Amino acid sequence: MALLQIAEPGQSTKPHEHKYAAGIDLGTTNSLIATVRSGVAETLADLEGNHLLPSIVHYAKDGTISVGYSAKIFQCSDAENTISSVKRLMGRGLADVQAIKEFTANQLTASGIGMPAIQIFDEIKNPVEISSEILKVLAERAEKALGVPDGDKLGGVVITVPAYFDDAQRQATKDAAQLAGLNVLRLLNEPTAAAVAYGLDTGNEGIHAIYDLGGGTFDISVLRLEKGVYEVLATGGDSALGGDDFDRAIAGLLVAKANVDAEDRQAYQMAMLKAREVKEALTDSDIIDVHFMNWDGQVNRSDIDELMAPIIDKTLLACRRTIKDAGLKPAEIKEIVMVGGSTRVPLVQEKVGQYFKQEPLTSIDPDRVVAIGAAIQADILIGNKSNDQLLLLDVLPLSLGVETMGGLVEKIIPRNTPIPIARAQEFTTFKDGQTAMAIHVVQGERELVDDCRSLARFELRGIPPMVAGAARIKVTYQVDADGLLNVSALEASSGVQAEIQVKPSYGLTDSQVTEMLKSSIDKAEEDMQQRMLREEQVEASRVVEAVRAALEDNGQALLSEEEFEAIESSLKQLEIIAQGTDIEAIKAAIKVVDTNSQEFASRRMDASIAKALVGSEVDEI
Amino acid sequence: MKNPFELFGLEPNFLLNVQELSQKLRSMLQAVHPDRFASASDQEQLAAMQKTTQINDAYGILKSPVRRAQALLQLKTGIDGTGEVTVKEPMFLMQQLELREELESLANKKDMNGLMDFAEQVESMENKQIASINKFFDQNELETDKILAEIHKLQFLRKTLIDIEVAEEKILG
Repeated sequence: MALLQIAEPGQSTKPHEHKYAAGIDLGTTNSLIATVRSGVAETLADLEGNHLLPSIVHYAKDGTISVGYSAKIFQCSDAENTISSVKRLMGRGLADVQAIKEFTANQLTASGIGMPAIQIFDEIKNPVEISSEILKVLAERAEKALGVPDGDKLGGVVITVPAYFDDAQRQATKDAAQLAGLNVLRLLNEPTAAAVAYGLDTGNEGIHAIYDLGGGTFDISVLRLEKGVYEVLATGGDSALGGDDFDRAIAGLLVAKANVDAEDRQAYQMAMLKAREVKEALTDSDIIDVHFMNWDGQVNRSDIDELMAPIIDKTLLACRRTIKDAGLKPAEIKEIVMVGGSTRVPLVQEKVGQYFKQEPLTSIDPDRVVAIGAAIQADILIGNKSNDQLLLLDVLPLSLGVETMGGLVEKIIPRNTPIPIARAQEFTTFKDGQTAMAIHVVQGERELVDDCRSLARFELRGIPPMVAGAARIKVTYQVDADGLLNVSALEASSGVQAEIQVKPSYGLTDSQVTEMLKSSIDKAEEDMQQRMLREEQVEASRVVEAVRAALEDNGQALLSEEEFEAIESSLKQLEIIAQGTDIEAIKAAIKVVDTNSQEFASRRMDASIAKALVGSEVDEI
Repeated sequence: MKNPFELFGLEPNFLLNVQELSQKLRSMLQAVHPDRFASASDQEQLAAMQKTTQINDAYGILKSPVRRAQALLQLKTGIDGTGEVTVKEPMFLMQQLELREELESLANKKDMNGLMDFAEQVESMENKQIASINKFFDQNELETDKILAEIHKLQFLRKTLIDIEVAEEKILG
């Protein structure tokens, strides 16, 4: 039974102030959404009582889009227009995914954004659009379950991503959320989310390893939990390895036994479905009868174990590397937590148990644990639990580097560096009067550019013309708390901010996202102006509320009277303008508040640090 | 901007208490991490990210003995120790050569256990080197050339440990 929550007097959030937040696990095979209600985090079911939403989207000829179980029924009958495992395409290049058999050669085409796209009738759908359809259905489910008033939306969501996702894959996920009209509070790494779900249950301090084997991705994270702080020490894995690979291996066996053409897409799809059945049936039995196409026979657990063992061994190799990266030995791991549906496979549990020399933890449903952790974090981030001490400190999963002479990579930020983090680098010009230069940013551990993931090409323009070698261009690479990279450049001798043009290698530019958003709204026949105005007004009231709260908190202490007045009057001005309908004017007024409160925000941070340091000294005594 | 020691409210010493350091990190990030400002104004979100970035950066410097020694040297003498340093001590050059040869021969033999023992040996050399650097920082008159050389030796040992790991990875495939 859930305990009734009683807040301290004066600290209770009034019912109308409770904000709606949700955690979303956007999986390769299945997706889920969870929220915190009355202090309990739980996944939400559809009307039929299903918690899992198969990550499958079907486009019908008449334009109807179905998602989940209603799309799954088309998987064999209308395979060409049914898309599953779209997560595998996010932020990847066409060449990366051509090896994946779920997508036939005629289904995948170039999209103009680097990522592969899928031809649906006369339209081309990119992976970001397809993922956004899944997110929309989940958000709708949460809005209904939470009783969000009509016309109102979820206040914010936390979306989980594999810890091993690179910048392009993260950005694609965030773009999909934006396209679905969701406010992303944070991208959270799946293993970290699972740790949160487990940690709160057990209150367990110490070092934990999270082994997360999903449908299409594998992650291993090593975390230290101490006094409510989850510090990720190291993370590793493979963003193209998962339970689907088990199915594929078993499907290969079935196809061989039934002696059917492996290139036949429909037969292959059926073999994959049957393979999953076989895998699941062999979790509880040692031998089963199988009927596939024209073949009847028996399959032993040892038959499929033999096929799966090399895949599992690959995951253990990643575990070894990650534990080393964390500066630990396997014996120092206090608990090993299993996450992801594929960890139900007995051989996975057996091999992981052998490696870590302990029984893996499986007490929370491995399918739901990530969504539950995300919901807990969403509830904290949106501000429903103001005094909670829970804090997640994550790391950069893959090293960031830039291309140098001869196609070599110079590392800028090594993997497993805590985020947010920034590094600066100085460049100079090669020729007299040079006003532009290009930087190619890559992610990965290898020495050659061709062996790493290309993230983006940045073109710096507007460098003041000088003799060769005189200009000093300081390029700053900033990775934020979502693990996303931002690059800025400054010519140091003149202080000129160089203009940066970003060409993501496998992704959308900001303007492309806006364009897609616009066209999707046009289709919905909603008034674009109206929607933009409403969004800007919401933003204005958010700004006013946030800055007022900060002023009340310590404005008197940190600001001179004039400074206080300047912020206060710009707030009043914003409130008046936000009543009107001029979108640009509201934007400008928000900007004024931003500029006026910049110094205040920075002083508030310093004050918090000073207070925290005093607090930590008191703790020591 | 504050130097890493100042930011963490620590005396500028080479020896530091790792537990105290991570405790301070936790309390500071509790106060300013971007997650604490997810619903705040854009300005505060930005300030929180910048502050946390500074703290993470300083923590990285303080945690690494090589980078901490370099930062301390810079702080006390204004000398930038991050550039190229050449050490001409015959003993050290000899040792360098021997360690590289040992690593190469173990890697060629694909001797995993040998590599692990070798790593332990280098780790204990690293600990001795850290103690030696501390002695030099304890002196009233800092011998900057000596300190630069000692830091370089530590750097070499660290690099060797990384190369051992790379060799192990290669054997495992």
